[in-house]
Amino acid sequence: MVGPTTSLSQLNRADGSASYKCPATGYNILGAVNAPVELPGRRDALKPEEATVEVFVKPGTTTAGVGERYVEGILRSVLGKVVLGREKGFPRRGVVLTLAIVGGENIERGDSYLTILPALLHAGLLAMMSASVPLSMTFAATLLCVTKSGDIVRDPSPTAAKAAVSLHVFAISSKSHLLLNESEGRFDFDTWELARQHALSICQGASDSSDGDVSMSEGKDGSLNGFIREAVEDQIYSDYAYKLDSI
Amino acid sequence: MASSTPSHPVPPSLSLPPSQFARLQPHAYLLAHLSPPAASNQPSLRANGRAASQFRVTSANAGSLTHTNGSAVVRIGDTAAVCGVRAEILHTDDIASWSVSQASSEQNTDKKPEEGDTDSQDKEDRAHIQDLNLLVPNLSLSTGCAPGFTPGAAPSALAQSLSHQLLSLLHSTRLVQADDLRIWYQPPNLEAEALGEQMDVDSEGSGNPAREIKAFWVLYIDVMIISLAGNPFDAAWASVLAALRDTKLPKAWWDADNETILCSDDIADAQKLSLRGLPIASSFCSFEADAAAGWRAVVIPDAEEQKAQEQKQKKQGMQQRWILADPDGYEEGLSQERACVVVDKENDGKGNTVIVKMEKHGGWGLDADDMRQLVDVSARRWDEMKRILDQC
Amino acid sequence: MSTPLVLLPSDEVPRDHLPANNSNPLRLGPGLRILSQPSSKSADSKHVLTATQAGLLTTDAKKNTVSLLSFPNRRYIPTVNDFVIAQIHHSSADFFHCMVTPHTAHALLGQLSFEGASKKTRPMLKQGELVYARVLSVGVGAGAEVELTCVSPSTGKAEGGMGPLAGGMVFDISTGMAGRLIRANSSSAETDEIEGLVVLSELGKKLESSGGFELAVGRNGKVWVNCSDSEENAIRATVAIGRCLQETDQKNLHPHDQKKLVTKILREMKLA
Repeated sequence: MVGPTTSLSQLNRADGSASYKCPATGYNILGAVNAPVELPGRRDALKPEEATVEVFVKPGTTTAGVGERYVEGILRSVLGKVVLGREKGFPRRGVVLTLAIVGGENIERGDSYLTILPALLHAGLLAMMSASVPLSMTFAATLLCVTKSGDIVRDPSPTAAKAAVSLHVFAISSKSHLLLNESEGRFDFDTWELARQHALSICQGASDSSDGDVSMSEGKDGSLNGFIREAVEDQIYSDYAYKLDSI
Repeated sequence: MASSTPSHPVPPSLSLPPSQFARLQPHAYLLAHLSPPAASNQPSLRANGRAASQFRVTSANAGSLTHTNGSAVVRIGDTAAVCGVRAEILHTDDIASWSVSQASSEQNTDKKPEEGDTDSQDKEDRAHIQDLNLLVPNLSLSTGCAPGFTPGAAPSALAQSLSHQLLSLLHSTRLVQADDLRIWYQPPNLEAEALGEQMDVDSEGSGNPAREIKAFWVLYIDVMIISLAGNPFDAAWASVLAALRDTKLPKAWWDADNETILCSDDIADAQKLSLRGLPIASSFCSFEADAAAGWRAVVIPDAEEQKAQEQKQKKQGMQQRWILADPDGYEEGLSQERACVVVDKENDGKGNTVIVKMEKHGGWGLDADDMRQLVDVSARRWDEMKRILDQC
Repeated sequence: MSTPLVLLPSDEVPRDHLPANNSNPLRLGPGLRILSQPSSKSADSKHVLTATQAGLLTTDAKKNTVSLLSFPNRRYIPTVNDFVIAQIHHSSADFFHCMVTPHTAHALLGQLSFEGASKKTRPMLKQGELVYARVLSVGVGAGAEVELTCVSPSTGKAEGGMGPLAGGMVFDISTGMAGRLIRANSSSAETDEIEGLVVLSELGKKLESSGGFELAVGRNGKVWVNCSDSEENAIRATVAIGRCLQETDQKNLHPHDQKKLVTKILREMKLA
């Protein structure tokens, strides 16, 4: 399986940006963050002592609909919890994240939004880091589907996801917390727990050696968290090449 | 704001009435209710008098709107949702891609007839209901349902996201069977008529021309939250479920002479929908004793450490986190972490519990063990809701 | 110096990376914060330094500081004593309302906080004019206003070229680049090498014959350039300098390529 690719700080005008491409599901997301900025006309709605996280999801070919509103709400609650909105310069300001779905299958009205959620989460997190928004932790997310035969498949293609019995998205923080779970389909708790452990090993690269089907192509230790770390390190090394050369 | 939390309840000498204390120090107020001093011997109750895993009083009433095909009013505490289901006919002639998609699906079924019956049926159901958008739920938060909903405002993000959740749950549970929504036409066997009485019993099946779908019923499911006091999704979904259970579609047929669909106005002919299962939604929120936990300058422990810490504190009688079932508006404002579990039970409540949807976000407090408990609580809620929905 | 270390949010700063000098208190740069770790055994809590942003950990043993170099494209957050280039948006009775970064609240610049300014001699700045100013205060608490000044509070003089910027042009650069330019400018040739910026000295050499140029760098990612040559040449040179800086910034050029760039652009602009 080909691992995801990403690049940071591609856009010059935004304070931070990242693109994230997952070949397995085919999605390509471009995220941009502007922070901290003034949110005009919302002063009454802002929290008095914290930053407000705003998320906009723009589909590639259509206008945003109810599905986008829903996924924006999820992203806002996950990222809003991770952003340290009380650091200097951030209270009463907005952290505005815009995610454009650049490539991948269109999500029709009423389709499940779970297939694209990990890609959106990753692009959002990387863009936040690229804009130097203070965060309390990082995370990694993965999409798993349980097939009719009971196998757990990672990053299924949109067609495989439609045929699956159940779909699960897990986001695991860099400290192994379960940050987000979205599951749908028909399943029992044991299946869910199995999927969760699977997700944990994918994100953390835990010693799950019995599992042969987890590819080890991404980070140093094969985990998604490792992949995120490497992507950030690469960008920092290239940005500060002048400094590192002289050392 | 509420970072320093007095853990003892309001002393009687305080001149503030409880309602004002609740407004000024909402977090401390709820915390004081949940963790009463050990000496007082009071049970840990929420500010609204419920136990942590207790749901609000729920009532449902079906069929109250006469101009709809099915309707229901569901009230969970002070949150009330009205749902009306209106059925309209969609001619297959009006579907642009109908002849194309029909031809391709017939080819498909010809190719692999031996595949599992339910499997191909599932696929066809999905193709019809999902691709033709036969279910159209829409949720609106009516003006004045809660302070802040002003007249003439565009549908809020909350209303839009709830609409999506309803639609996606209708699709993923496959609650409505596509067959109920199809209007068939069986062309008369002209050859057989010509042959007159000589027609054999065995030639009947093979000689008949294939019956075809002439139209679909489209169900417009409109939900209106007339009063919003927290947890709109549970109420909205219960109202959709009750309304669909109440929905009767008139008997409809294709009239070949007039080339139109005719409906019978006889109520006795009308058919109820046969729904797949009874998925019940239960929402929760997690209330943290330390409102500042997320941003205070303390190292956030690893998941493992956090678990150990919490258990230790629990032993000492210092609970740090409460999972509140069916949160009201006041409690929703005090917590960020939300969870929602939708469960169904097989064989009308006698079989296993099946999870249909599970979601949690907005924090890192709830872990797998908590989720297991939530599924159990939701399963109990299922029994309660089934009783209520059966009675309505 | 040890191997370069990149930290991600929630990563702890390893103790062996901290400067060993204990005589001065350790100073933390942006992107780092001190957290107390509730100790499991006893009441005394340990303190750890963790990162809140992703960046390269750098330490300065002399000043006993530790800081995190984050992505250069980040937004500028006003900090006291920073030099910024602000644009006047409008003026009110007591203040000029200036833009420091886009989409943020205006910063206030007192009508009288210019060198030798009185009610009668204060500069009449119009909308769109530029000032080189220093951040006087960022206020306390949420939503506080940023105040700028064009005089040094201690001496009452406009030190470091503060005041209205007349003529010239302003170019947008990244905040990281602005920091580099300031560091490279402020001190010796040694740091110049560390910052890897030869573009300015190269431009200085090439343009010396035509009268040289003036430069003001604002921490908020702006650089103002002015040339004192004859009119037409001055504009050409100004644009050329701006382009050199912007391109060096955007493409993150190596010193070697910076020299090439300067030669190329000066030739294109018919200045060489």
